[in-house]
Parts: sequence; structure tokens; C-alpha cells
Amino acid sequence: MPNIENPTATTLSALGVTTAAAIADHFAAIRSRFDAESASIHDESGWKILRDAWLGRKSGVLAQITDNWLKPAPADLKRSAGAGLNELRAHVESQIESRRQAIESGADQSALAHDHIDLSLPGVERPTGSHHLVRQVFEQIEDIFVSIGFSVVEGPEIETPYYNFEALNIPEFHPVRDDMDTFYLDLPKGASTPLLLRTHTSPMQIRTMEKRKPPVRVIVPGKVYRRDNPDATHSFIFHQVEGLAVDADITFCDFTGTIEYFVKQFFGHGVKTRFRPSYFPFTEPSVEFDVSCIFCGGSGTSAAGGTCSKCKGAGWIELFGAGMVDPAVYGFVNYDAKKVSGFAFGMGIDRLAMLKYQIDDIQVFFQNDVRFLRQFP
Amino acid sequence: MKVIYKWLQEFVDVTASPADVASRLALSGTNIGSVENGPHGAVIDAEVGSNRPDCLAHYGIARELGAVYKLPLKPISSRPAEGTAKAAEAIKVEIQSPELCGRFTARVIRGAKIQPSPKWLKDRLEASGVASISNAVDISNYVMLELGHPLHTYDYDKVRDHQIGVRRAKAGEKIRTLDGLERTLDSSLSVVYDGDRSRAVGIAGIMGGADTEISFSTKNILIECAWFEPIAVRKAARSLKLHTEASTRFGRGVDPETAELASRRAAELILELAGGELLEGVVDVYPGKRAPKKIQLTRAEFLRVMGADVPDREIEAILSALGFAPVRVGENRGAQGSLLAAWECTQPSWRAEVEREIDLIEEVARIYGLDKFPPRLPAARQGAERLAKFEPELRVRERLIGLGYREILTIPHVAEERDALFRPEGVTRARLANPLSEEASILRSNGLVTMAAALEWNLNHGQRNVRLFEIGRSYRLLGSTSLETPILTIGATGEAREKGIYDTARQYEFADLKGDLDAIGALAGGFQWQEGGAAWTHAARRGTVHLGRSNPAPHSAALGVAGQLARRVADKFKLRQDVFLAEMELDSLYEEIRREKEARRYEPLPRFPAVERDFSLLLADGTAFSDVVKTIRSLRIGEITSIEAADLFRGKNVPPGKYSLLVRVTFQSREATLTDRQTSDFSLKIVSALEEQLGARLRAS
Ligand SMILES: [Zn+2]
Repeated sequence: MPNIENPTATTLSALGVTTAAAIADHFAAIRSRFDAESASIHDESGWKILRDAWLGRKSGVLAQITDNWLKPAPADLKRSAGAGLNELRAHVESQIESRRQAIESGADQSALAHDHIDLSLPGVERPTGSHHLVRQVFEQIEDIFVSIGFSVVEGPEIETPYYNFEALNIPEFHPVRDDMDTFYLDLPKGASTPLLLRTHTSPMQIRTMEKRKPPVRVIVPGKVYRRDNPDATHSFIFHQVEGLAVDADITFCDFTGTIEYFVKQFFGHGVKTRFRPSYFPFTEPSVEFDVSCIFCGGSGTSAAGGTCSKCKGAGWIELFGAGMVDPAVYGFVNYDAKKVSGFAFGMGIDRLAMLKYQIDDIQVFFQNDVRFLRQFP
Repeated sequence: MKVIYKWLQEFVDVTASPADVASRLALSGTNIGSVENGPHGAVIDAEVGSNRPDCLAHYGIARELGAVYKLPLKPISSRPAEGTAKAAEAIKVEIQSPELCGRFTARVIRGAKIQPSPKWLKDRLEASGVASISNAVDISNYVMLELGHPLHTYDYDKVRDHQIGVRRAKAGEKIRTLDGLERTLDSSLSVVYDGDRSRAVGIAGIMGGADTEISFSTKNILIECAWFEPIAVRKAARSLKLHTEASTRFGRGVDPETAELASRRAAELILELAGGELLEGVVDVYPGKRAPKKIQLTRAEFLRVMGADVPDREIEAILSALGFAPVRVGENRGAQGSLLAAWECTQPSWRAEVEREIDLIEEVARIYGLDKFPPRLPAARQGAERLAKFEPELRVRERLIGLGYREILTIPHVAEERDALFRPEGVTRARLANPLSEEASILRSNGLVTMAAALEWNLNHGQRNVRLFEIGRSYRLLGSTSLETPILTIGATGEAREKGIYDTARQYEFADLKGDLDAIGALAGGFQWQEGGAAWTHAARRGTVHLGRSNPAPHSAALGVAGQLARRVADKFKLRQDVFLAEMELDSLYEEIRREKEARRYEPLPRFPAVERDFSLLLADGTAFSDVVKTIRSLRIGEITSIEAADLFRGKNVPPGKYSLLVRVTFQSREATLTDRQTSDFSLKIVSALEEQLGARLRAS
């Protein structure tokens, strides 16, 4: 047998092949070379190299044989060269396919250990950020109310006493003002009106009704401020979503239905709700809205057996205040109290988030410790 | 208000358990704090709303229970035995300020024996959280807790000339009150005086004076039961910082009609516990007497507000139990459930806040039960609109989060000296008139100050690699009006990439900040960067950000500023690591993002291949990449699709004063595949332009 480095790069006649038997010898040699190469590969990249080396369209071994052996072969040898090539091709193709399957299935016992990935190692960790939890809750609330026809509006945090109090039927020296300790701004002498940090998002009820005629359906997300000394449950800043719906035919039943719909969307359908009569100067009838305690399921008893500390055994947790818009408020915005009716509510977002995610300190919302932030991506 | 269960049972025959009573009260409008079983039986802690002074009394709570449980309320009839001497001859009463004092009643008891109260009385006061002093004083407190009307008892013999009255205080007038403190008054409040009117013997509606106080040697007692105007009492209590059981009740409005009854009830109890003789009659000056208001309730309005009905019988029972004496009027008087039904009601003197039909509707609804009104979801009549900024803000936020920044929310209350570090010149800060502390006395004029504090917090808590952003507002004053501006603030420190299995560590640099901001800018059609920056920035690592595709006009307003925090400022926050901050205004950014989105059109993909050529240039320090770009662009080779800086280095093999820049230019034609000759031709032109105009030298690559 001629000892040539790359026999397929040249013609049969250049190799000195003149008989069918000699052709068969050459094919046998090439076949064993393939088998050796095929046995030495254990991974996908090796397999690809093998495939391209043998089956590559331009320079693969089989293409070379076609071009260099078969095409220029004398007529008497063409037949045996063709037969040899077909047999080799069938062998190469079937082997390459079976090697692929073996490597892919991992059943190849000889797969090299160093090539196998360690799944317990982390992937490449690219830094990813996170949404603030309060913002996530805002978004969820917004989505729920948008889905039932409420538009979203925003307003100033620095307000006048008129919008924060008077137009909401809270005249000066109303006892309710004592419960809403208020930050005032230090203004230059001669300022025509005092400015304060809004104590609730309710001023936007007035601002909205001043701009729009009924039907009105809006929610108002935003920051509010009360001059309270901070502790685990008090912050002098917190977040509210105000809601207001005014139309020709909105009733108390529409109001409770809307609130119930929201709460079941937010806390889940298992939660029970109740409305307790209450008092706010800008709603009447006014209510406090309670949900069954989500910590003890409304039983009042903790899992450990004692009194549930979250609802103090009551089985109910107070969520927020609301009510039918007091007719006096319509007087401030030139609505006809005899022709329209509506409801309003103001819910504390921080409190909702604390309840839902069992957070026991409101200050974590404002410390912005990344160890807190990363818990709520 | 502590409500003693057994005391309620004196007025209404309630048999339900204290827990049930508490729950029914809660569901009918009296907020309940707790129910406790103590040595004096069950005590319900009722958190009575400021609109219900009538419920700051056991009798008022009993009335609520009567309505809820449909039980009759027992009338209070005190008939103390009277002597023959007339009260009117023993005491003179006058009201100088009828606008502040609507009624003043006086009774006199002679020969009483002041001593400690009996156990039952002490027990009730103790359960109510009121200190026991002596029988006469305790009785006045007891009657207040029972009927809701504060009273005051005087040592009759210390009241000069046996004459008493009410007038406005004089500015600067002084009085020593029962608590032993001397207080200075002003003319907005009224005082009770005696004798020649010169001496104040009590601050009207708030606290009595020490001069006429009952003592254990007191023999003769003057009982005052008056009505004072609520707003004046509230103002006075607030300005004197003197909040008492009396001021709470008068401040919310007590029932003027009850005054005489409460006085009679107190006299009855004093006779019982202290003996003595009650003079005949009462001195009753009542300039504020008013005829009761009539209020109409119609079923039509009830249905319009509540959306579901309540039967006639229930409406009438509820309003009667609460004292509104409903009388069915008008058409269809006899027809049960008529839609035209109307009731004329009389406002009870203890419910001054019930004046309108809506108030009656609430009364009926709360007692009937709010759970009896079936919830329903109203149909939406309009499409719901998001905020105009909704989509741009969402995109900015999601992009920043994708780039590794965590969203934060900060408290805008900051210290003046901290805010000043970041406050642009010419900006007036908004200062609070009543801050909780100096550290929280300014509303931030910028977002950087609270962002720096958030980074500080994290570094102090062992978090060294931090990237944060906040979408919030800055607060400023323009004259005496306020200006709130939506802003985006970004802060970063530490490593941009931490060392791991696959990567080496790399510090966060200005280039990270610039690249991330440009990723935001891409939403708005790109940012332009200009030299310069604010006072807080590191002079060599900073820039201003502008909107628009071309260079901004000189001195045009920047959208924002970005830079490394100057060491001087970083030291104030004890930030030892390099810190990078940026802030930009959001309104114009959002507007540009919206405009850009609307203007964006599809550009067909090129059909012919692109060719890249690298130019390894040696440039003098001070020559900017933008100079290279400008020079190449000036050749107006239409086939150039991009010019990028692919690599940059100084030092080894680069002479001092120079730096090496690898510039990658991409060529592509829309008409045909570019030939080697064409690209070589372009390259030659580029090299010679860079050599001639910038003195660049091509390095052997
Ligand atoms: Zn619970």
C-alpha cells in the first residue's frame, strides 16, 4: 500500500491504483482512519469537527474522494470506486449520527469528566435591579382599578389648607384636624395662603371634580405626610391611593361592591370583608373597612394556639376609611348634590404591603437597605 | 371612654354578653378598642368619634344599644327633695358673653358634709379611669360620665357676693386652676367670675379655679352646669394645652337641654351621700335656647344614596329609638313601603350634628346594618386612562432595573446643610415651619441628597456594591408658591462587576454611569453630553446631559447632570468609596420618549454585506473621540454606517502625551456589495484626513 500523507487529495492513477482490489484496500484504510477518529471524540465540539472533516461539502473527505478519485477515474475502475464510496458514505453517515445521539444523551460512558458542566455552580450573574415594594403594590392596585374603569391622576404634595381641609368639609378648628398633625411650610412674609404637606390624597377629589364633570372615576396614588414621631407603625411620610367615583346613580351598594372586588383581587377570594359605620367629615355615610385577619384566617387564634397578635383576637383587621361623598363637598366644586352621588376611599399602601408581606416595621420602606430591596425583585 | 357594662344595664335591659354588646356597637358605629373583664365587671373601651359627644356618656351608649337591640331606654327622673329657701335668693347668675355661653344653671346645697366617697362610687370612677377626690367632686364627675354633661362644684362661701357669671377673659388675665398651675388667658375664651367680675374663678368649659375649690371643710356647695360654645372651648384648650374631660365634651358640643337635668341629678346624689339641704329651684340663665330643627327623610333620597330599601317599620323604629320622633307625612301616608314615603323628624338636642337628610339616612343605615345592603360592581361608563407618563416611566424604570439598579423611595425631609451641598444656585429651598427636628427641616430641593444618604446607609450596613435609582420629586419655592418637579436620581458605588468564576472584578466608573444613562437616552432618541457640571461633582469626571440629536445650543438648559461625587462632599457623608450620581428632570424626558416613539419608522434592512475597517491611531492627549468622528464625517462618505471606539490605551509602547485609539469604521452600501478597491479608497481618505487635521499617526497593527 502506498504511504501517502493525504491520499484523497490526489487521483487514483497518481496513487498508482489500477485494480478494483487496490481500490478496496484504499477504502478499507480510509474507513479504519474514520473509525479511529470517530472513537476519539466525546463532546459536541469534537463531533462537529469530525462531521465537517468527513461530510463537509467542499473539503470533507467524502467530497474529496468524489472529486479526486471518482470523477477522474478511468471507465473500468469507476464502478468499483463508486461502490466503495457509497459503502463508505453509508458507514460514515450512520456512525456520525449514532455518535451524535450518544454524545447528546450523555450515555457515552467515555465522555470526559472535565467537559461536563457542574450544574450546582451558578451561571454568570449579571447584576439585576428590583422594584420597590411600595411601587409594586401601587401598580397592582392601579391595575385592579383600571380594569374596572378608574382613571389614574396625580396631584401636588404641597397643598393649600383649602384643598386639604376646607373644601373637604373640614373647617378650621374642626376636631378632625387634631388627628391630622400637619407640616406647614415656612413662607416669606406676606404670602397669600399658607402651604402644607397634604395629610391625605383627598385634596385630589376636589381638584379632580373642579376639572371634570361627572361621570368621574379616578384613583390617586401619592405620598402623604403626618407630623407623627416615627416608630415601627408610624412614619411621617406614607403612601395612599385615593379613589373617587361620582355619577348620576352611584349608590352605597356600588361602593361596597367596588371595595369588595378590589380586596378580593388583592388579598384573594378567601378573604371576608365587613363595613363598620364611621365618621369622616367629607363622606357620609362613612365606613371603616375591615378584612378577615389574614394571619389567623379570621379565627382570632394564632397557629401556636394563643391569641392572634395581629388582630388582637378580633379576627378582623382594619384596612381603610371610606364612604359616600358628603353632599357638602359637592358644594365646593359646583356639582348638584341632588343629581349626583358617589363614593370615595383612601387606603394606606404601606399598611397594605405590611399586611400582605408580613412586614413589622414601616421604616424599612424608606431605609432602602439593599438586603430589603432584593427580597422583592 | 370606658363603658361599664353594669352601668349600661341601669338604663337599658340588655341581656346580651359584653362581647356581643361590643361587637354590635362596633357594627353600628361606635368604634371599640377592647373589652376587658376587671374587678368592676366588664369594661368596654369605646373610641367615640369626634362627631358623637352624646356617646361620651353611659346614657348615650345605652341609647345606641336600645336602638340596636330594640329595647326601651329608661328615662332619668331625679326628684331631689328641696327646702324652702329659694336658690334665686342665694345666688345671682349673669352671662356677659352669650355668644360663648348659651346656658348657665346654678343650684345651692347648704350644710353638706364633704368626705370621701363610698366604695361603689370610687369603684365606678376607678373603672372609668377618674381619680376619686371627695364625694361632691366625685359626683360631678359621675354625672358627667353618666349623662355626658360636665359640671362644676364650688365652695359656695368662697364665691364672693354670692354672685357668679361668665365673661370674656381679659388679655393677660391670670388664674390659678385646680391643678395648681397659674395660667395666662386671652380674650378669645371666657371665664367664670364671681363678685364684682374682677376675679376669674374658672376657665369656662375647661377647668375650675383653685380659689373657690371644694375642700373637706366646705359646708355649702354651688353646683354649676352650663353650656359653652364648642369652637371657643377647643381653641382655648389647644392654646392653653389643657385638655380635660370637660373640655373634650364641651369642645365637641354637649346637649344644652341636659344641663338642668344633670344639675338636678348631681344635687340628688349629693343629698344622698353628703346630706344637707337643697335650696328650692334652680337659677337658669338660658340665652342660647333654640327651637328644635325639623329634618325630612324621604324614601326616594334613601334609595338614591343607599341603593337598597329598608322597611317603613324599621325606619320608624330606628329613628324613634335614637330620639328623632319620626312622623310620616305627605302623600301615601298609609301605604307601607311607598316610594313617596317621607318622615318629618325632630332633631334631638343631643344630636346637634344631625341637620340634613343625609345625616338621617346614615342613622337608619348604620343601625339597620350595613351588611344588609347588597354589594354590586357598577358598570364602567368610560375607558380608564393611565397617567400620560405611564408608558415612558414604565420603560425608564424597567430599563434601569434591567441594568442592575434597585428602585428606592426616600423621605424628602432633610437637613439644611446636607441639602445645600447639592442645591443648584438660585434655588429657594422649601423649609418647614414646624419640623420634627432640624435634621428633617427642609424638603429636599434635589434627589441627590437623599440618594447619597441611601448609599451611606448601605455602606454603613456592609453593602459595598450598590446601584440605586429613585423616581420622585424635588420641592422648591418660587416666591410664596411651591414647585414640585418630577426627577430621576441615580446613585452607584463599588464594583460594577464582582469577581466570580467567569469574570474578574471591575470598579463602577463614570463610563458605567454614562452608558446606563445613554441606555435611557436611547428611548428618547439619544442624549448629548456637554462638559460641565454642578458644584457637587468631581471636576474631571462629570458632564451635563441634553436632549436632542445635535449638539445643544450653548447655555441651553440641561436635562440633567452626572458625575462622580466630589471628595469634599463625599467626606460630609463619610463615603469612603467613589460614588457616582446623576439626576435628570423627567417631564421633558418623558415627553421626548413619547414623541420619539410616535416618530419612529421602520428602516429597511440592508441587502448587501457590511465591511469593517480598524484604524489604530496615535492621538495627542486632549484630542477627543468626537474630533475623530467629526473629521471622518466631514469626508461625507455616504457608505459609512458607524464609527466606533473599539479600544483605548496609554502607557506601554505609547509615547507620553499621546494615547492609542482603535477606531472601527463600518461601511455599507444600499446599492451593491462594496469592492476591496472602494473600501481601500475610503480608508486612505480617512487616514489622510485624520493625519492632516488631527495630527494622528497610524500605528502598525
Ligand atoms: Zn388574627
